Amino acid sequence: MSLRPLRLSQLIRKIRRGTKPKSTEKSGENMKKGKGLSERSLGYLLILPAMLLILVIAIYPVGRSFYLSLYDVRLNDPTKLEPHASYGINVERYANVMPFLVSSLDHEIEKAEGKHKERLKNIKQDVLKARSTLESDEELADTYQQVNQILNEGKKVPQNMKSVHLDEEKVHNATQLITGVKKNLESMEKAEQLDESRQVVGLAKGLLSAFIEPNFVGLQYYANYFQDHRMWASLSNTMIFTVISVSLELVLGMAIALLINRQFFGRGLVRASVLIPWALPTAVAALMWKFLFDGQNGVMAKLFTEVGLIPDMGTLLTTKFWSMFAVIFADVWKTTPFMALLILAGLQTIPKNLYEAAEVDGASKVQQFFKITLPMLRTTVLVALLFRLLDAFRVFDLIYVLTGGGPANATETISVYAYKTMFSQMNFGEGSALAVIVFICIAIISMIFVKLLGRDLISDGSGK
Amino acid sequence: MRNKPGFFFYLFLAGFLIAVLFPFFWLAITSIKPAGELFGADAFRILTDNPTLDNYVKVFTDYPFASYMWNSTVVAVVTTVYCVFVASIAAYAIARLRFWGKSIVLGIVLAVSMFPQIATLSPIFMFMQSTELTNSYLGLIIPYTTFALPLALWNMTNFFRKIPFELEEAAKMDGATTWQALWKVIFPLAVPGTFTTAILVFIAAWNEFFFALTINTEEGMKTVPVGIALFQGRFSIPWADISAASVIVTIPLVVMVLLFQRRIVSGLTSGAVKE
Repeated sequence: MSLRPLRLSQLIRKIRRGTKPKSTEKSGENMKKGKGLSERSLGYLLILPAMLLILVIAIYPVGRSFYLSLYDVRLNDPTKLEPHASYGINVERYANVMPFLVSSLDHEIEKAEGKHKERLKNIKQDVLKARSTLESDEELADTYQQVNQILNEGKKVPQNMKSVHLDEEKVHNATQLITGVKKNLESMEKAEQLDESRQVVGLAKGLLSAFIEPNFVGLQYYANYFQDHRMWASLSNTMIFTVISVSLELVLGMAIALLINRQFFGRGLVRASVLIPWALPTAVAALMWKFLFDGQNGVMAKLFTEVGLIPDMGTLLTTKFWSMFAVIFADVWKTTPFMALLILAGLQTIPKNLYEAAEVDGASKVQQFFKITLPMLRTTVLVALLFRLLDAFRVFDLIYVLTGGGPANATETISVYAYKTMFSQMNFGEGSALAVIVFICIAIISMIFVKLLGRDLISDGSGK
Repeated sequence: MRNKPGFFFYLFLAGFLIAVLFPFFWLAITSIKPAGELFGADAFRILTDNPTLDNYVKVFTDYPFASYMWNSTVVAVVTTVYCVFVASIAAYAIARLRFWGKSIVLGIVLAVSMFPQIATLSPIFMFMQSTELTNSYLGLIIPYTTFALPLALWNMTNFFRKIPFELEEAAKMDGATTWQALWKVIFPLAVPGTFTTAILVFIAAWNEFFFALTINTEEGMKTVPVGIALFQGRFSIPWADISAASVIVTIPLVVMVLLFQRRIVSGLTSGAVKE
């Protein structure tokens, strides 16, 4: 993400301010020179482990997600387990299948009679032809020998030997031959002309799945999603959920913070109870609300029905509008206290004498709120809003557990859609494209806020 | 805002507390109801005539709930310890030492903390599968770094900044090296901040759902949130078991929140509020 929190001029100003030597520090610097590492090198050394971890575990995967989204990667299809840029063959699979296919055909030839025997002999010829075509490639022949040995010793095949690149022509020819073999065998299987039909047909299929064809699709998935109704629906669900729940949380949180920003009996108790919804795992909170909203035994559903809000208890989780309402309700319950706490902390940093001065000047409470409280809270509110917006936009746990995206995808957010694409359909390439779309949306939201917040967000402590 | 709180204030407060706490109250009620009172009209009764602890027993006998708890504990503790350790070293450098590019580093940390988990999931999942780390503790601890480390780094930096610079300078004047100043002066002063950060990271790791759901799918390796969320009954959703399990996970949280509420609040607000 190209997050540019500071413009260059600001950065330079900051560095200058940071390096403005204080007299005591100067002497410290001189003293240290004799003792190895300079402060700067030490600084880089100390941040190195954390930065490396972040780079490898967080930043690299995002790049890799984008890379995957350009390929047709499917975890339920052995030929598409990984992104392949060129033609090739899975040597491990090949070594596991080819010799047995040949010997199994020999067995069938032995058992068969008459014209079936002839047909099987022809089939075997094709297999051998495919084999010689493939193994005319020296790299494959070499690797095949080694892999065979490794497999015979019962060891694991190293990653770099698992596949070998081949000419497109060779793979095409071999694929054609083996496809023919498979068809022939299958028709013989149907006519019950084979002795151990399942084994020999299975081996032919297994050999086919060893061929690797490039599964590069470019930006195809993005183009598809652009016209995918379900994607736009999930995006709009995400936005509706985000905007409504975050605004409600902000307004309610602000109101609560203003009300409890005073001395009163039981303050500690209120603060502790406010923290509990925040600390509860979202998945458990979602489950709890699923129970309270349940169409048969849910006490909140019952309450809403008695009050006349909904016609009957089942409405809450089975209709489009009310299921979204339920999800937002649960989210507001869980995060308003957090919002209130943040704003309360912000309120407490506003100097009291500002209000006293305003009172002397005859400002009303309302004026005080708009002229003092709100401007002084600007940074706090913006930071709280930013984090809440991002959290809400990537919402998954709450919806996955509470509604599962239903009814009829009415509450399906984009993260849930991406999850389903990846783990129900095992389309990792396609799902990654959705994940990248989520990422881009979040990057846009962040950049808007970084512009609004400017240097307040990332101050290095010297600019106070 | 100095007026004394009146009757309406406490009325409002009571309403607010009821709204916040009612779901927990209802869970607690449901968790002690016998099976026969979970459906029909009895489901809405506030009190039960035959309170029972059967549901609590069932949570441990019908489900591997104890191993869920153990898995969550191991994963959350290891994640917390190692992330807070790595983060505190880096945070010290960012807050106290002078070198070029600090703002960029902080910018990156903040940006990474905003990453949606889904954007890192597919490569991480495929990596875990190819290295056979799915259904292992390491399989969760590694991806948990993506949110735990930035969180810890951000909080620790804020805490280190609050320690007066003069203390360190005084130590250096007395001939201490940067390392000595760090170990003997700064770290002891940073203990409360480290502890607060550790609580926040622990809660985040304990509550994590997305990676846990996708990477550790074996019954014996699930964490608590995933385990409870996937409780399955034979005919219907076992609400009583779920209620009992939820109460069991909520109680330690309540204790923790009661003990450390000041720290948690200061940790939560340190990034957003400038003092």
